Amino acid sequence: MTEQDDSLEPIIEILREPAVLRADLTDRVMSEIERLPLPGPAAPNPVRWWRRGWTIRLTPLRGLGLAAGLAALLFAVRLGGRPRVGPVVPLGARAMTQFVLIAPTATSVTVVGDFNDWSMSATPLERAGGVWSVAVPLGPGRYRYAFVVNGAIWQRDPEAPAADDEFGRANSVVTVGGT
Amino acid sequence: MLLRRVLAGETRVYAQLVDRYRGRLGRYALRMLGNRDDAEDALQDSFIRAYRSLARCEGPHGFGPWIFGILVNRCRTHAAKRARTQGIMVRDDVALAAASVAPSESRDGLRDAIARALEQLPVEQREAFLLKHVEDLSYEVMERVTGVRPATLRMRVFRARDELRKLLAETVRD
Repeated sequence: MTEQDDSLEPIIEILREPAVLRADLTDRVMSEIERLPLPGPAAPNPVRWWRRGWTIRLTPLRGLGLAAGLAALLFAVRLGGRPRVGPVVPLGARAMTQFVLIAPTATSVTVVGDFNDWSMSATPLERAGGVWSVAVPLGPGRYRYAFVVNGAIWQRDPEAPAADDEFGRANSVVTVGGT
Repeated sequence: MLLRRVLAGETRVYAQLVDRYRGRLGRYALRMLGNRDDAEDALQDSFIRAYRSLARCEGPHGFGPWIFGILVNRCRTHAAKRARTQGIMVRDDVALAAASVAPSESRDGLRDAIARALEQLPVEQREAFLLKHVEDLSYEVMERVTGVRPATLRMRVFRARDELRKLLAETVRD
């Protein structure tokens, strides 16, 4: 059994063309769900257990001991529980990040990623010879991304570290700000 | 995370999730069902069902595969209903929907032939083929989305490819 045979590739390429759907689909979904109750979970049993009334009986001596123990615990947590903080980066600082793909035969290339909500139209690359590129301002962080060639072919950046997306598809990763 | 914001009561944020996934999910539904009305019904229904049970989507695998699983089920239901009532696929809708993307006459003919060939595949083979080769899902994710074991999915993909190759042999040669 092989999946390497590429005789179906022209067919798969056509099947990967974007589907044209009615523009108001999102509006129709939203008008339906706005009539529905919020999708919050029912209160779990442990919460109800915790919220029920409690009665603790203590002698004065044991009460003092318990209070001292709690104070010591709080002190220890304050000393050792400080979260680790990464390098300080000014709020709102953005770095221009260049995305480049060499694709001489491509007719269009866009970049999709965490920074543009994986929109296939938001960030097109410009062509110069066989090289496609675009500069995107990105704040500090780690972003997954991929190129979409000719509106249909998903391609990871061969020059960047790889990371699978939620569908198990190969993407690339760029880290801005050294985090 | 958009999902957490919706669960916290920001209902309007759900529109961003719909916008993010509608293209990919819509393509699957259209290829699977073969006509735009059914595809949009299945898609709209899936987004609404997903919203209703959104609190159950707090797993490590994310919203995408989870709603894909809902859509796969809706498409199965639509396909079964149509098989019972009419057994007809409106191929022209697929060609029409794709025509605005690349208005080439020969390419339209090829699209129509592909839609006819896909229609002739058993639903479970069509489903596995589209998820693997068009949506580019790994077998691990396909298992989560369909509830079917990877070995069975591999066999379905293999059979679908074999059948499509036979059905489209002349079209591809031309």
